[in-house]
Amino acid sequence: MPQRLKEVDVVCVGMGFAGSILAKELAASGLKVVGLERGKDRHSVPDFQSPQIHDELKYSVRKAFMQDVHKEAMTFRNTHNEVALPMRQWEGFLPGTGLGGCGVHWNGQAWRYQAADFIYKTHIEQRYGKKILDPDLRIQDWGVTYAELEPYYDKFEYLIGAGGKAGNLNGKIQPGGNPLESPRSREYPNPPMKEQYAGALFRKAALELGYHPFIQPSANMTRPYTNTEGIALNPCVYCGFCERYGCEQFAKASPQTVILPKLREYSNFELRTGAHVLKINLDSTGKKATGVSYMDEQGREFEQPASLVLCTAFILNNIRMLLLSGIGKPYDPLTEKGSVGRNYAYQTQSYVPVFFDEDIHLNSYMAAGASGTVIDDFSVDNFDHSGLGFIGGCYIMSGSTGARPIEFHPTPPGTPRWGSRWKEAVRKHYNHTAIFNLSGTSTAARQNYADLDPTYRDAWGLPALRITYDFPENDVRMSKYVTNKASEIAHRMGAKTVVNEPRVRPYSTTTYQSTHNTGGAVMGNDPATSVVNRYLQSWDVSNVFVVGASAYPQNSSYNPTVTLGALIYWTADAIKNHYLKNPGPLA
Amino acid sequence: MTRLAYMRNYAILFAAITAVFGFRLATGAKTAIAATNSAQVGAQLVSAGNKKGAIACARCHGYDGASDGSGAFPTLAGQSAYYLTAQLRNFASGDRQNALMSSIAKGLTDEEMQSVAQYYAAARPTLPVKRQGQPDLVARGQYIATEGNLPNRVQACISCHGPNGNGEPPAIPYLSGQYKHYIQVQLLTFKKGYRKDVQMGNVGHRVSDEQAAAVASYFDQLPLPNNQ
Repeated sequence: MPQRLKEVDVVCVGMGFAGSILAKELAASGLKVVGLERGKDRHSVPDFQSPQIHDELKYSVRKAFMQDVHKEAMTFRNTHNEVALPMRQWEGFLPGTGLGGCGVHWNGQAWRYQAADFIYKTHIEQRYGKKILDPDLRIQDWGVTYAELEPYYDKFEYLIGAGGKAGNLNGKIQPGGNPLESPRSREYPNPPMKEQYAGALFRKAALELGYHPFIQPSANMTRPYTNTEGIALNPCVYCGFCERYGCEQFAKASPQTVILPKLREYSNFELRTGAHVLKINLDSTGKKATGVSYMDEQGREFEQPASLVLCTAFILNNIRMLLLSGIGKPYDPLTEKGSVGRNYAYQTQSYVPVFFDEDIHLNSYMAAGASGTVIDDFSVDNFDHSGLGFIGGCYIMSGSTGARPIEFHPTPPGTPRWGSRWKEAVRKHYNHTAIFNLSGTSTAARQNYADLDPTYRDAWGLPALRITYDFPENDVRMSKYVTNKASEIAHRMGAKTVVNEPRVRPYSTTTYQSTHNTGGAVMGNDPATSVVNRYLQSWDVSNVFVVGASAYPQNSSYNPTVTLGALIYWTADAIKNHYLKNPGPLA
Repeated sequence: MTRLAYMRNYAILFAAITAVFGFRLATGAKTAIAATNSAQVGAQLVSAGNKKGAIACARCHGYDGASDGSGAFPTLAGQSAYYLTAQLRNFASGDRQNALMSSIAKGLTDEEMQSVAQYYAAARPTLPVKRQGQPDLVARGQYIATEGNLPNRVQACISCHGPNGNGEPPAIPYLSGQYKHYIQVQLLTFKKGYRKDVQMGNVGHRVSDEQAAAVASYFDQLPLPNNQ
């Protein structure tokens, strides 16, 4: 018999960026807030301190910060007529666990999306007509515009101390920044990161080819910074251990370094770690949530009543929580009825390894998670797609996030994969190889979705989330086109060998590509094609908000975290200024 | 001591003797001569200074780089030549402000700076250094140095200064076995801007005087990294 706890105003399911910021905003409004985190409590000191935090075997190979695959995993298949199998180790993407969530182990690449992203369907159809779209594609508008989100982007960037150079200030193009970005209302709070040598070579070649290189925006601090919550961060030392690691320097923006110290000052906020939420409870009408049920680490079950439930977990867990709780109608790919799990998308990554002569010393280990020189010329719809036969695009970046010894050993084609010749090639190429990273749009498609697995269950006896995904043909054509453009830049840099590796089907979860899963509980203005309204409020249960990249109707070229940050503050404002005054549907 | 280290120390001693007694080596390959000249220049400066305002380094830092034990002057023995050269350049340019060292550094050519830096990089204390601190202060310092301090957001010293504070040469100096008064004063000079460094300036602002004393006491009682 679950123990029923005292009712609170708000419960957050998951304490990453979304849970931490929303909890703080609502605690500051005087509400009693409980944050439930299934993982451990953890802090910059002592949990992220070196030398142990630089244990590449523990964190990169064995993935110590990720969800325990023995207790809970997703099942995966490429198409709906296959049998999905459970993931037994994390490779393709890395769902985190523990206080701070993915905000601890991200790289800090701090991108905004473009104005066109938020009205993607309208924009594409206006520019090219409907015929450019493959029949399987299901792109749609977000229900919120860039102009509406701009103040919230700004707010999040000043929270996380983003470093960069504005390229477009209120419509005026600025030298040194990204001239293709959508207008921002003021400069970044901090200057850009230092440029790596591979980035400098890339910059020169890109300029010669008529492109617009700039330094990637970053949430790794570029100078001492005190953020908008009064929390001080330290400058990054370019140690090369960002992704998959915590930051010992208080230099990478994460909930621990930008918001949790403030949140924990509120006596009306309570954090409970080791609290694994099983489901959101509904009343007899199914239209109102009464709270959540969770199990602690001793296996005791609790019911936490709450007036407002915020689903603030990783996107896959947000989708699963809705499905487990019976909120909304599950998506059926055959009839296209139902919306929960619909428009699951990803990030279409590709790489171009660029091998230089041995007199070019790149020192790629001198790096931060967001180090990189980029061109935005082939992102989203920044170039004319007429006659190309696809929509979308990639940014092209030359930069290293660390070149750590176990993970980074590029060898040119034809090198054996083991033995003395492999070792010789690794020695020869380690310091003379750049890897271009192409981060691309992921176009939502009818056949890609998430639902509950009929066979596999987790350690709590609940059905696993089943992902059905493969790259739509559109995205494969897109990747081929932009990867070729990247190879041209590489040749221009004077590379000895350039390897062109566009993304091809099938998608495989056995090699790392990106943790940027999106969609499945998408936002919009039509309940038939979205799960939450433009304020991320559930259409079906109005006292549930689902806050995460699960809300993205399709994915843009860019890394998703800063857009999520904008949506978090957008939602917080909607709850504080509208919902609390008159609880009920906001749209 | 490894054979190589032994030979290196022997070479320094020899160089020092030749410098002191004014011997000159007249044979050897061209590069060997250059190296010997540099070692001679370093030893000469250490023992006698030059006529352009650089007083003999040994007067404060000793021939062995262990300095006079007061803590007013840092141990230089075994610190990387790159780091020591950079400090001399900073003293000369004013990026690092110190009334005594600035006038000395201004009297050195860049080659002289490198020579004297190499001398002390290769130097080893003649007597093993082992000091003791107040146990409770050392324990507090050890925690901050190895784990950091959450409330005022100080990262562990060893994150950059290496395990046991043994340094990450060439750029990052060792702290283990360094005099506590010197470490304390340096944290203050970083805080006040007399030494300019983004990272350490930030740390200088973060730590309290009490924490600086604790950290300094911890490193003070550790052995020098290359003195085992």
